[in-house]
Amino acid sequence: MKKTLKYFLIALLVVAIVATGFVIYVYNKPHRNVANEKAVTLTAEQLYQAFKDNEQHANQLYLDKAIELTGRIAQITTNQQGQTVIDFNTADSLVTINCTFKEAPQNIKVGDSIHFKGICTGYIPDMNVVMNNGILVK
Amino acid sequence: MATKFMLFFLCFTLSIVTVKAQKAYVTRNGQISFVATNDDDVSAVNNEVASRITTNGDITFSLLIKSFFFQYAEMQDHFNSDYLQSNTYPRSDFKGKITNIQSINFSKNGVYPATVQGNLTLHGVTKPITVNGTIEVQGTKIIAKAKFTLQLSDFNIHADRVAKKVAIQFNCTYQ
Repeated sequence: MKKTLKYFLIALLVVAIVATGFVIYVYNKPHRNVANEKAVTLTAEQLYQAFKDNEQHANQLYLDKAIELTGRIAQITTNQQGQTVIDFNTADSLVTINCTFKEAPQNIKVGDSIHFKGICTGYIPDMNVVMNNGILVK
Repeated sequence: MATKFMLFFLCFTLSIVTVKAQKAYVTRNGQISFVATNDDDVSAVNNEVASRITTNGDITFSLLIKSFFFQYAEMQDHFNSDYLQSNTYPRSDFKGKITNIQSINFSKNGVYPATVQGNLTLHGVTKPITVNGTIEVQGTKIIAKAKFTLQLSDFNIHADRVAKKVAIQFNCTYQ
């Protein structure tokens, strides 16, 4: 009788640990960190052309993917949450590649050629291709 | 005589152009956030909303589903893959009109009530919506704000285990 109770308590403990572990996992699973991801390397122009030519195909290729984008900074702004945003120009004067940094980068200015590594979240026709979660590679 | 006529014609054309001239306010980094009406933990913010408002009352906005940031990464994954299917429906678009545009003076600072009617496309479903909010004129920039509730099943989004309704907060600063 005593033995059964002991096993029961051990089983209960195991269940409790697994459940707690699961909750901790759900609440603490880290967000993606592009620094550790292998990225596709593209120019800002190539990324825009891909979406302009065939949005569906470009979505298959680039949506949710880490991309290292090279281009010249056309504009630096901050979004409404205070994060730094840069825009790369494209061949279409109305359309930019809108890139949001995860943390404010040091020493960048309009006109600089940079490598921005981030995640592509998609394309808004006549406006921009959106990249976020970004870091400055060089 | 011919030059006079030409001049008249030119003035006439210019006046038409002036009358038709309307200013467009634009942002690429507006903000839309939402929270489940039954659970504060289920909330996310999107800081990459592209939107345009013209002084003759057209308003559009587009956002990418994958640009919604959740505090909990696990929730963000479920939102994208299980509920919004953001690979299939990556974008949401709204196109509408400010119905009381004549009561908004874009050249005078102030907060103006605004009613917007239009069509919202989300998760591949297009539905008409009417939203009340405000437009604040601050010199050369304007700020549009609105709060409204969406019933997820209206857009064929089945997340019953998590939420049935979400409160949307629209907050965009335009230049």
